[in-house]
Amino acid sequence: MTYASTAVPLLEARALSFQRQDEPVFAPLDFQLHAGDLVLIEGDNGSGKTTLLRMLAGLLHVDEGELLWQGETLQRDQCAGQILFLGHQLGLKGDLSSRENLRIAVGLHGCRDGVDIPGVLSNIGLHGYEDEPVRRLSAGQKKRAALARLVLLPAMLWLLDEPYANLDRTGIALVNALLEDHTAAGGVALVTSHGTASFHGGEPQRIRMHD
Amino acid sequence: MTEHQASLAPACAAMLRRDLTLAWRRRGDIAMPVLYALIVTMLFPFALGPEDTLLLRIAGGVVLVTVLLAMLLALDAMFSSDIEDGSLEQLVIAPQPLALMLGMKILAHWLTTALPLIVISPLLAAMLHLPVAVIPVLLLALLMATPLLSLLGAVLVALTAGTRRSGMLLALMLLPLCVPAVIFAAGAVAAAQQGLPWFSPIAWLGAALVLAVVLAPMACAAALRIALDA
Repeated sequence: MTYASTAVPLLEARALSFQRQDEPVFAPLDFQLHAGDLVLIEGDNGSGKTTLLRMLAGLLHVDEGELLWQGETLQRDQCAGQILFLGHQLGLKGDLSSRENLRIAVGLHGCRDGVDIPGVLSNIGLHGYEDEPVRRLSAGQKKRAALARLVLLPAMLWLLDEPYANLDRTGIALVNALLEDHTAAGGVALVTSHGTASFHGGEPQRIRMHD
Repeated sequence: MTEHQASLAPACAAMLRRDLTLAWRRRGDIAMPVLYALIVTMLFPFALGPEDTLLLRIAGGVVLVTVLLAMLLALDAMFSSDIEDGSLEQLVIAPQPLALMLGMKILAHWLTTALPLIVISPLLAAMLHLPVAVIPVLLLALLMATPLLSLLGAVLVALTAGTRRSGMLLALMLLPLCVPAVIFAAGAVAAAQQGLPWFSPIAWLGAALVLAVVLAPMACAAALRIALDA
């Protein structure tokens, strides 16, 4: 038996489904996420990728099926701070600079050891823009400022909704590098994308939303 | 994976500082309720005539109602920008008690909208010839009534957060909740003007405020979770 199948999965979904006005948004899903997993959620527009991520983040209630966190029914206080969510709305305040935005995030979540805000901002490609209000940044730079949160905040599970949108070639490489580092350190990442994500570390696991 | 979990005090400080910084970056929005209150109070003597006895009688009530209405102007925006830009989602996911964080937001909102109004209220009262001896009672009444209104308002704003065109609904729901605050606050000012004991209405307001401080942030948190869960 391999290590992955004996260990308790970090997150497990059993017959998970969601209904909006009695219409099922996605069919019952079963999956297990183990430490070091990178999972790509595939599906067409409107197939429920974002809904699934919002559900896993605890923003949407679980209608049917079950979510298990480390083998026990998922309770929000149990995994508080272990989950980071990057949605379509980036959660950045336009009137604040990226440095100030990150300082708030660190105030709320705490900070990983060995990283600091100026270092992360320059690694992520925002050197020289640290004190510019976020509303004056380009869409790609905003995305980078939001991605900086992932590096800075301690969390096991990353839920990334279209992390490649608006990014240039180096930005895409940056996201891939972030994902690689995170999973290599034992973290888990779920990524939605409609297509052309490429990963260096072999083929990622895939969850298909539609048949 | 080594990490520093954020503790409660820095998280509260970060929230408070965030909202105060945001308010400071948009100073014009803070000035608007103050200007509104000044203009309304100035119009009363023009409309009613500069008769001392009449102004004296209505002064307390006019200042109270003006300040509370001016607060309503800014109430609507309490959570809307956070919902639009996704900050609220991030706040819900953060490993901090949501109610406490929203309490900090409400505190910041009170500091930026009600406090400037309280600061200018002696000026407003003086324009209507309210006796100087009554002004401390007026200030005390406002110090009790305005946070109460901020807290109750926040619950209603949170409840209507998911709906479009929530402005009218908000005004309709807030009206009955405002009435007791206005009655007690105006009662205290009127009693002080007549030289009667004025403390008991203030104490009632204080009791309501204590209840609201404890319960309103929790109600806000529950309402906003529901608003996001759709």
